[in-house]
Amino acid sequence: MIKHLLKLVWNRKRGNILITLEIFVCFLVLFATVVMVGYYANNYRQPLGYEYQNVWIVGTSLSTLADLEREQKDVMKKWTAAFYEALRNMPEIEAVSTIGQAPYTYSWHSAGFEYRGKHIDTTVNEGSDDLPKVLNLQVVQGRWFDKRDDGLAWDPVVINQKLARELFGDEDPIGKDISNKGATGTGGSADLAPASQERQKRVIGVIADYRKDGEFSAPETYVFTRTVPGIDRGWDFLIKIRPGLGAAFEETLVRRLHAVNPDWAFEIDALTQLRETRLGWQIAPMAAAAIVVSFLIVMVALGLVGVVWQNVSQRTREIGLRRACGAPAGSIHFQVLGELLVISSVGLGLGALLVVQIPLLDLFGFLTTQVYMYSLLASLAAVYALTLLCGLYPSRLATRVQPVEALRWE
Amino acid sequence: MLKNYLKIAFKVFLRRKFFTFISLFGIALTLIVLVVAVALWDHVFGPQAPEAHADRLLTIYFVHAKGPRGNTNGPAGYAFHDRYVRTLKEPKTVTVHSIFLPVISYRHGTEIKSWVKNVDGEFWQVFRFNFLEGGPFTSDDEKNGNRVAVINQTTRQRFFPGESPIGKAIELEGRPFQVVGVVSDVPMLRFTSFADAWVPISTRKSPMYKTEFENGMFFSTILAKSPADLAKIQEEFKGMLTRIEYPDPKSINHLTGRPETLLDTISQELCNGYLTTAALIAMILFMCLPTINLININVSRIRERSSEIGVRKAFGASSLTLVGQFVIENVVLTLIGGILAFVGSQLVLRTINHSGWIPYAQLTLNPRIFLYGLAIAVFFGLFSGVYPAWKMSRLHPVEALRGRES
Repeated sequence: MIKHLLKLVWNRKRGNILITLEIFVCFLVLFATVVMVGYYANNYRQPLGYEYQNVWIVGTSLSTLADLEREQKDVMKKWTAAFYEALRNMPEIEAVSTIGQAPYTYSWHSAGFEYRGKHIDTTVNEGSDDLPKVLNLQVVQGRWFDKRDDGLAWDPVVINQKLARELFGDEDPIGKDISNKGATGTGGSADLAPASQERQKRVIGVIADYRKDGEFSAPETYVFTRTVPGIDRGWDFLIKIRPGLGAAFEETLVRRLHAVNPDWAFEIDALTQLRETRLGWQIAPMAAAAIVVSFLIVMVALGLVGVVWQNVSQRTREIGLRRACGAPAGSIHFQVLGELLVISSVGLGLGALLVVQIPLLDLFGFLTTQVYMYSLLASLAAVYALTLLCGLYPSRLATRVQPVEALRWE
Repeated sequence: MLKNYLKIAFKVFLRRKFFTFISLFGIALTLIVLVVAVALWDHVFGPQAPEAHADRLLTIYFVHAKGPRGNTNGPAGYAFHDRYVRTLKEPKTVTVHSIFLPVISYRHGTEIKSWVKNVDGEFWQVFRFNFLEGGPFTSDDEKNGNRVAVINQTTRQRFFPGESPIGKAIELEGRPFQVVGVVSDVPMLRFTSFADAWVPISTRKSPMYKTEFENGMFFSTILAKSPADLAKIQEEFKGMLTRIEYPDPKSINHLTGRPETLLDTISQELCNGYLTTAALIAMILFMCLPTINLININVSRIRERSSEIGVRKAFGASSLTLVGQFVIENVVLTLIGGILAFVGSQLVLRTINHSGWIPYAQLTLNPRIFLYGLAIAVFFGLFSGVYPAWKMSRLHPVEALRGRES
């Protein structure tokens, strides 16, 4: 039976090759879209590692002035300490910390770390002692920075679970020394990385996975180093405010900081707002692509219906003959849909063959096998369902062919 | 003869309305997507006010600095632009301007966020803004640190609803600025010139910007005397880079950059200079599926017309004539689809404009885009018509008359 179907399709190969091609391209387009959506959806499900509600960034204008670091370091430190004290003394604020690059901002630092010959490039950030209170960070092993870290001969660092897994494997990371090796990089509006690379770094704690770039970003390896407001650099403050305070408090806050020093400029951003903007910019192109692709699929479906319909009406005589010889409606259905299935299997087979090269050649390292497999299966199922759906109406038409009419035709 | 073809074409279109609908749907959809993409592209890179004379403008956006302490990429500092770009001999005018920065103001207890750009007096000569009220500030304002501001239409509406703002004070970052001019909104995607309010550079709170060299927040835009001078300017800039005296060679001792158009810069940053090629490839890939679909439908349609083809062939029509006829029919169909697409894309663009997704977006279908769209439509029609036409022309007349397929 199936052999017969294959023969039928093969005999009309000229006409079928274009449909095969269309299904092949349609599968590729659908797969690319599903993989993209699957990748982001999978990221979205992962834990973020912090809470952004009621957290504001208080930026000070000097954060863009690289030269000041050299020339007037002491003045800067003095004012950073003064602003820090002022923020801590405000009853509306629950916790204050400094931070290198706040969540949802676009700057980053990276650095290479080595442990027993194993090298990993990772994102680095700086935070002060109260950062876990501001962002509700989960310390899963060891501890976060505190007063005990003052005046050490080495730099304490806190790493995240992903880095702990990749660098130390099953070993306990607490108390291990890691060395700073290889290239450092800077992105966005971040300044040059701090110059304390020579000092030995020792892991004192591990936090749950932390994704600074928000819900849609991939899990990344992360290292926090310690800053002390007023002693180290750190001109962006992250504050946790009491729930229910709005723009009115923002104005008050700026006024109070201006009372400390009127010559500085302050910029306040709520993390919820930054998050909205950032996610918005990430969703918009995805949504546009998804809309376009779904219209393309509708177009392909309509086209297929037309082509199959035309095919069926061309073959009235053949179908009429089968009916006259006693073929029931079911077997006509089977023939039309079966042929369509064979054609789409060829197209999908080719498509799957091409797509399988991606993990084999490791072309897109960021895709997990799980996302990849699910996307492949979902796209295959969707295209099969689509072709069958497109065949239903024409095959119904085919069963309505009257044997007498069909045989008389010509 | 053409009239005859058209007549036949329309009769055929009307005979099988479902097929005509599928074809038109596919064509219109494809063209809408392409036209919207082209409109967005034109919106960002095309010559538009205030950069209508884009063929004479070059901007230094990003510089790449290297040195013993690492490297940094980004806009250069004011000191670099002031010392080395303003002193170039070839340009007609040079303006130094900052990136746009968010500034919060409070008006009756509500927060207003404006994008503010620090610019010099020459800015208004290099870019040609459409002034609705008042006029630009001058180089003297910049020299003396006068707190003056040019604002856009939307900012006027936000701060001074229903009144003329000229001479009045607008509060930015807790300091008053006197409004001297109002210009039409510039879309945010016009990255080089966009802002809500433009104020002199010297009004910055801290004078530290004057010492920033390799790493800062300033661009400079060069207005050439004529488009032919652009190459000369780039040459002079290249020569100048080799003569820089670095303020702190222990930190940074090598600088590269180029005066270029926004398209060049983005292309360089995103895909090594092949943005246009990448966009064209993406367009062709995107057109792949609709084209195959249209070819498929066309092939089906001609099967149905085999008896007509048989008659024409029997009466001596050559294959070439038939190919010509079918291609013309297809082009007519794509042009009808094109008309639908223009109506459709008009709607899509209007929706994007109103959604506020891109601040101050004024996506429009100008004649340039219309021409691009028309070219795409005709190309599409020819491309998807040729194969079915060739297939059709190979039908054997006797077979065709008997109603068999080839």
